Amino acid sequence: MAVETLRRLAVFLALMLAQVLVFNHIRLFGYAMPLLYVYFVITTRRGYPRWATLLWSFCLGLVIDIFSNTPGAAAASMTLVGLLQPYLLELFVSREAAANLKVSASSMGWIKFLTLAAMLTLVHCMAFFSLEMFTFVDWLTWTFCALGSALLTLILVLGLECVRKS
Amino acid sequence: MRNLLAFLAKYHHWLLFVVLEVVSVVLLFQYNSYQGSVWFSSANYVAGHVYEADASVRQFFSLTRVNKELAERNFYLERQVTQLRRLYGELTADTTVQQRQELEFLSRFELIPAKVVSNSVDRPENLITIDKGKADGVERDMGVACGNGIVGVTYMVSDHYTVVIPVLNASSSRISCSIRGRGYFGYLRWDGGDPAVAYLEDVPRHARFKRGDWVETSGFSAIFPQGVLVGKIETIYNSADGLSYRLKVRLSTDFACLRDVCVISDKSIAERSRLLNQVRDSLTMKPE
Repeated sequence: MAVETLRRLAVFLALMLAQVLVFNHIRLFGYAMPLLYVYFVITTRRGYPRWATLLWSFCLGLVIDIFSNTPGAAAASMTLVGLLQPYLLELFVSREAAANLKVSASSMGWIKFLTLAAMLTLVHCMAFFSLEMFTFVDWLTWTFCALGSALLTLILVLGLECVRKS
Repeated sequence: MRNLLAFLAKYHHWLLFVVLEVVSVVLLFQYNSYQGSVWFSSANYVAGHVYEADASVRQFFSLTRVNKELAERNFYLERQVTQLRRLYGELTADTTVQQRQELEFLSRFELIPAKVVSNSVDRPENLITIDKGKADGVERDMGVACGNGIVGVTYMVSDHYTVVIPVLNASSSRISCSIRGRGYFGYLRWDGGDPAVAYLEDVPRHARFKRGDWVETSGFSAIFPQGVLVGKIETIYNSADGLSYRLKVRLSTDFACLRDVCVISDKSIAERSRLLNQVRDSLTMKPE
């Protein structure tokens, strides 16, 4: 339990630093911004306490917010993703799968993993940019930001997953 | 209680979710001036609508007061128009003197606005109760009118209420009226039945007038000043004895929906009335 928590803390810090130091400075085509920290929530194992998932995701979002001057936006959207992750995960794993199944491409298969990751990333990006822009008047910009960021994040998740597998 | 606890235990992560989202949203609005301003401006939009609805409700309830003021004003202007029409008809040489007299004449009256608290139109002897009495300066035998025309005469006065004998009282109401612009007069009585129709009796046979002429108070009755609107001549009949005309008058006052009225308090009328009574007394006491 403690080992798991420590490992998660390590992933937490790594993703946080990566986001704050690197990804926050990327604005591809002026729209797409990788929000890789959502990977932390995606990979929460099956059967992990839901309240803990929520707290972890909230804290990660809050820390990201603090560093990127968007108080509340990332925290709110990460909490939403943290709530949805266990429910969505149940859709992709069979009942007979291990109760503490790890969420990764190797354990679930690429298609299932990527679908789950894509859904959660999309939800996160849409929620995040809705809260950050807080208006749908400029809906085209909003669409570009949300979809572009989701795509970019997904590509990075894919890369990260490849590295982890090898 | 146990069910509630069980429910909370099962869905505690939803509760946590809500709490965390609320914290996030509070942070969002607290520390982002843009989101905060959008929130507060939309909140103000809602508040504006609420206040607007509130104001319209308030306006609706103040309509009663506005209505009363308008009734009073309307009555005043109606009289003024009547007077001016008469003066214009007379075409006197010095009109400014007439105007001054006119204003003086009007300023003699004190109008006491009142509200009808009980009313009936379906009996032969209808009575109206209004919410003003001695305390407000109402006395017996004062005229009562509304914005549309004549209503009746005060009869019994208590401290805060007054019973008015309206035109629609077949046995007690006799109001002296004349035909506008013609000068011939008669007295107004109501026979029961239709509350919108009364009869002007004892109009002399030689009088010249036509259907559609306006009937107004004559100013002879010691109760109403001259020129308070009564109604319009609808049909002309001969009286039973054939010595006079009997005019069917469509009353301008709608007694069935009477609400705001004015009691006409005129000191000079009271004085005239007193004088007349003294004369009557002295005549009756005079030995035959």
